[in-house]
Amino acid sequence: MRKILTSILIIGLGAASCTKVSENVYDKYPADQFYGSAKGADVALAGVYSQVGGNWNGVGYAGADNGWYDLNCFSSDEQVIPHRTTGDWQLDFARLYQRQWLPSDLIIGNTWAWLYKSVYTANLAIDQLTQAKADESKIAEAKVMRAWFYYLLIDDFGDVPFYTSNNVTVDKIPQTKRKDVYDFIVKELTENVDKLSETKGGVYYGRFNKWAGYTFLAKVYLNAEVYTGTAKWTECLAACAKVTSGGYSLHPGDIDATNPVGSKYYELFGDKLPDDETILAIYVTENIVSRNIYTIRSLNGANGLALIGFSGWNGTIVPKEYYDKYDANDIRRKQFLVGSQAGGVTYTADVSSLDNPGAGPNEGIRNIKFFPAKPADGSGESNDFPIYRYADILLMEAECNVRLGNGAAAKPFIDQVRVRAGLSALAGNPTLDNIYDERGFELNWEGHRRQDMIRFNKFTLAHGFVPAVGDFRKLFPIPTSALNANPGLKQNPGY
Amino acid sequence: MNKVYLFKYGLTMLFLTLVITAFAQKSPFTGKVVDELNGPLPGATIRIKGTNTSTVTDNNGVFSIQQSGAQSVTVTITFVGYETAEKVINANQPVTVKLVPNSKSLADVVVIGYGSVRKTDLTGAVTNLGAKDLNPGPITNPLQQLAGKAAGVSVTQTGSEPGTAPSVRIRGITSLIGGNDPLVVVDGVQGNMDLLKQVPPSEIESVDVLKDASATAIYGSRGAPGVIIITTKKNKNGTSTVEYNENSSLDVISKRLNMLNADQWWQQAQLYGVPASANHGSNTDWYNLLTRNGVTQNHTLSFGGGANGFNYRASISAILQNGIVINSNYKNYIGRIQATQKALDDKLTLTMNLNNGIDNANYSPPSIGRAAFTSNLFSNIYVTRPTDPVYNTDGTYYTDPNVFQYINPYAVAQTVVNNVKNNNLFGSLKADIELTKGLTAGWFGSWRKVDGNTGYYLPAESTVASAIDNQGIANISNYHQDERLMDISLNYKKDFGVHHLDAIAVYEWQGQTYNGNFAQAKGFINDIATYNALQLGDLSKVTPGDMSSYKNDRKLVSYLGRVNYSFQNKYLFTASYRRDGSSVFGVNNKWGNFPSASVAWRLTEESFLKNQHVFSNLKLRGGWGITGNQQGLAPQNSLQLVGYAGVTYFGGQQITNFVISQNANPDLKWETRKQTNIGIDFTTLNDRLNGSIDAYTATTDNLLFNYTVPQPPYPYPSIAANVGSLLNRGLELTLSYQVIKTKNTTLTLAGNGSLLKNKVLNLSGSIGGVPLNTDYVGWGSNSYLIKGKPIGTFYILKHAGKDAANAETVVDQNKDGVIDQGNMSADRVIEGQATPKYTYGFTPSFSYKNFDASMVWRGSGGNKIYNQIRSQLSYFENLGKANVLQSAVPTGLYTSQYGSDLWLESGSFLRWENLSFGYRINTAHIKYISSLRVSVTGTNLLVVTKYTGIDPELNVSGGSGSGGDYGIYPRTRTFSLGLNVVLK
Repeated sequence: MRKILTSILIIGLGAASCTKVSENVYDKYPADQFYGSAKGADVALAGVYSQVGGNWNGVGYAGADNGWYDLNCFSSDEQVIPHRTTGDWQLDFARLYQRQWLPSDLIIGNTWAWLYKSVYTANLAIDQLTQAKADESKIAEAKVMRAWFYYLLIDDFGDVPFYTSNNVTVDKIPQTKRKDVYDFIVKELTENVDKLSETKGGVYYGRFNKWAGYTFLAKVYLNAEVYTGTAKWTECLAACAKVTSGGYSLHPGDIDATNPVGSKYYELFGDKLPDDETILAIYVTENIVSRNIYTIRSLNGANGLALIGFSGWNGTIVPKEYYDKYDANDIRRKQFLVGSQAGGVTYTADVSSLDNPGAGPNEGIRNIKFFPAKPADGSGESNDFPIYRYADILLMEAECNVRLGNGAAAKPFIDQVRVRAGLSALAGNPTLDNIYDERGFELNWEGHRRQDMIRFNKFTLAHGFVPAVGDFRKLFPIPTSALNANPGLKQNPGY
Repeated sequence: MNKVYLFKYGLTMLFLTLVITAFAQKSPFTGKVVDELNGPLPGATIRIKGTNTSTVTDNNGVFSIQQSGAQSVTVTITFVGYETAEKVINANQPVTVKLVPNSKSLADVVVIGYGSVRKTDLTGAVTNLGAKDLNPGPITNPLQQLAGKAAGVSVTQTGSEPGTAPSVRIRGITSLIGGNDPLVVVDGVQGNMDLLKQVPPSEIESVDVLKDASATAIYGSRGAPGVIIITTKKNKNGTSTVEYNENSSLDVISKRLNMLNADQWWQQAQLYGVPASANHGSNTDWYNLLTRNGVTQNHTLSFGGGANGFNYRASISAILQNGIVINSNYKNYIGRIQATQKALDDKLTLTMNLNNGIDNANYSPPSIGRAAFTSNLFSNIYVTRPTDPVYNTDGTYYTDPNVFQYINPYAVAQTVVNNVKNNNLFGSLKADIELTKGLTAGWFGSWRKVDGNTGYYLPAESTVASAIDNQGIANISNYHQDERLMDISLNYKKDFGVHHLDAIAVYEWQGQTYNGNFAQAKGFINDIATYNALQLGDLSKVTPGDMSSYKNDRKLVSYLGRVNYSFQNKYLFTASYRRDGSSVFGVNNKWGNFPSASVAWRLTEESFLKNQHVFSNLKLRGGWGITGNQQGLAPQNSLQLVGYAGVTYFGGQQITNFVISQNANPDLKWETRKQTNIGIDFTTLNDRLNGSIDAYTATTDNLLFNYTVPQPPYPYPSIAANVGSLLNRGLELTLSYQVIKTKNTTLTLAGNGSLLKNKVLNLSGSIGGVPLNTDYVGWGSNSYLIKGKPIGTFYILKHAGKDAANAETVVDQNKDGVIDQGNMSADRVIEGQATPKYTYGFTPSFSYKNFDASMVWRGSGGNKIYNQIRSQLSYFENLGKANVLQSAVPTGLYTSQYGSDLWLESGSFLRWENLSFGYRINTAHIKYISSLRVSVTGTNLLVVTKYTGIDPELNVSGGSGSGGDYGIYPRTRTFSLGLNVVLK
């Protein structure tokens, strides 16, 4: 009996050594070990860029749906997704276009969440790169990206919470005045932009090089009056000049029968955008890295099948009054489909209704600016997306000169853009309306229109189906979800 | 043959006569004792009344006893679990005595985890069900046998898709994301609900449900949601049995939704301006095309035997189910063997259990559909227009390019392959050795392995858009579960006069490992190989995420002890304590303590109640305990980790992207549930009325939840942490009344009911100094978690009517001219809750001679259902691409921007769950059969409800999405024939 007791005691003691309950990790990397290395720091920077590409659930700058692009484009006058009599498409998009959005709207919440996750990711990268004593240019790159996210935040939301280190609690992140965030952006840019690489394309394709940095700075100055009340036209011109010194030119607009849209101009919206004009692009490979849905979302089912091999979503259309402004000879008009099309479809320019009962199945003008680049499937194409390109710089230079009262200096800039598009040079010196319209012709569907409409004081005016709205609509509301989580936030006036 | 028998019997009689003659002084009284199934009962005690002369029956149930000089004696026959019988035996006239199971003592012993107690000594809230109490019929999962049978135990079957297990909730919702599934213990092996798949329904001896904390605290950090303990049948000492059980049912759909037919659709389409191009001119009954009558079969062959301290029971079962949707089926084969051997003068008992279950299911795709309507395959039948043809003229499946991501449900049902196969194996060994009288040391080890794989093939001809884009998508996944448990125990039992002591101390170690992989290929030239040859796919279509693998593990180390003490069988006391350490807890909270204590007082043992005849049993119980819940914590939840996040483009190339997958939370720990229970058990009216009443209150603290955190600074809008608390209160009543109790006839009315109240006490607090503002959290369609309100409270816009354009209008409650649809909107009003307030069951049974009948009625109520599928099938804006309900015509809504209370319906129901008739055929003259019973069972015969959807029994699990009807696989009504044969 004693033997048995002894052996039980031994078993018991043996078992008592099995008291460790520490955790094993087999299939992931512990964060502290991962980012510590130089390679890890690079990955942290790449992670910030991964935020830019479009993804489902409203993530990213452009390419997918329900995010920043849809919010900023559908609220302008350039595109809309009407509800269809066939039952397709919810009313959300038409409501956005009619400028009747609510703080609880999904797209607004998505945009906020995406931008703040991006700021977090940038903060993390800056920390990791600094700790790893990484190359100065990489730290500068991450800082410029963070500034860019804040620029997108103040552009949409005005006064926003501001922080630069992830190790803070929410009470240390006050809602900061739009002007103060603007000051931070300008300071951060002027301190870092010259540290950025001057390489165009190659390993810097899709990244902020020095010229993309100056384009960004030019954009901030261009809208300074909107953000702060003080115009910065001269500073904008100086920044544009820096970009020009990088050696950019307009991509040719020659007729090209091999191009599906009919002009070399559309290579600017194809796969791997040309380095001559493109300053900053989002790299896209069908559903693997980002995505581009803009053409397939526009075409209807049968037309999509005939044209690109995949059934279209019968979504986005271009309002007739927008289309009508284009000159018949403008190569940029080739991006629109109206009338009889492949697949036995006839698109009408007129739309009978946007919401109730909605548009007929073939109503509305369609857009193939981003004519699908392969590989593609029914949920996305491989077209890269131009965030900034040289034509924008030229139009900014024209605008600043006009605003500074220097019409003659402005003329060559806008004419370059017009001539490339197959139009004649302007007869006289450009007016602000010329600039506004030309920006509309050149940069439609590229995410600039809302900002332009606000800067040119056109945003609240009536157009097409849409009545005029109050000035408060120039800012989006702080999303309900953000207000609920942080009662310290103040809603924008009017909401 | 007869001649041979006559010859044998003749010889025997001759021999007996000779013996009797030789021992004329002593008269032998012989006979045989059998059980209710006419099986022999070995070990029954036979005593001649008024003497000390006794004997026990042998392996064949035969006895022989002698009494000098008597020509007839009266004997009493006793056997544990059976009513004591008295019989007058005449010398030399062998008798057969059939014992009747004792309804009271059948449940004499209750398994309480790491041991058992006599029911009379129980101090906690435990429901004990014997094999006879379980629901009959076409059972595919043991939980179905419990439905309606136990107070506070709610079994919910959502739809009847083959292979889909019901969910069970014990005493309501204890957790939000931490898991509400009870711990399952099968013959000592602990596991999750999937362990039940390995239990053959007809091989269950008893089910014990531990409900209150004083009972479950012995399971510590796994005890909070309750514990279901299943004990399987063992061979009765020394007997041999061969038994076959069979049940086959015909399954039909009990209710369908009425959609517009082709003519009605076209009529409405013209009214609503749907273009004629949307009418494809066919007349298709999609519903009939995709459904059929189902068949469910259950077969179990079991046998056992033993001698000289050895005993075994083996069984093999097949559960075969053909679903009511074409091409859906489920097969489950379970083989088990259980062996016990005694040694060392019966001081050592070794028990081994081996169980292998193989299940194989063909499911219809779970999540499929067009972009605007993704649901299960079945619900896609509803949206498909009746005017759409099934085939194109060239024989291919019809699809409509003008409907975004159109799917043809018949093509999906016919061509999509979705197989799930699992191999479930467990083995256990239990060794108990009696060291001295009363002191036993035990060792128990179990090892369970689940090896599963799924195969999925979505061919282009299925008409699913992604499959067409990719020319077929095939994937396989393999997963492995490895669960080990070992415990060492020391048990001491002793009676000191009027004191009875039973104490146990246990060390336990549990480890579980999970690993698996996934691989996918796309682009197939044809569909012949389905998912069986991924290498035949198009390599250029390989994308990130097409392959992946994972591995993680968790460990639980525990020290536990329990003392049961009783004084004069009157005052009963139980105390237990458990200390758990788990790898999944954060570093700051690795160990938790879970104490409990309970007392009971048997009033009828008191002298002052000895002479009354009102109560034959009256017992008061009270208990308190702390339990935990850790199943909601996955491995690695508390650590900040970097994981795969697709591919990004950087440095001129595509590279793997990494992302911090979650925030570190070193404080992460179990949920704590404090529960107090008081109860009373009584037997009265000459033992005819039996009942129990239990009342409890339970608070879950350190509530695990994804709390809302401000973004910024958090990268995600929520974080998993232990902050809030929930309150549950309830009252349970169980009654059983024997209306008729005569020799040939019994009629018992039994029933149970429970009232449940739950409330979100708090969802706010702070994490690391960050104040949390979590309230009005969406918990389903229009149902929310609101502080001070029940879980899943409907906070919803009130339907007002429709405007001139037939768009729905709702009441602007705060009259600000704007309808705010935000979670906290003042335009919403509170309208009921998603979880039931009460559940009840009524289970009468009747028997007359060889005939028996039983019924189960059960119901629940007080809850609301948001009928989302009805709203989706009611807007005429969809008519151009979809069908709508017939009921949508009078409603006449074109569109709605809202989800209003127009779709909120009462979820109360009463279901006639089961009706069964059985007849025991007299087998006295059948040569090889000792017992034969046939039965007829109908299930789900009637549902009394106001709910307009397919079935009101929906997801009321308490988890996110509770209380909504998003479209379910239909419920079946079954009619079955059963057979039970015991061979001689």
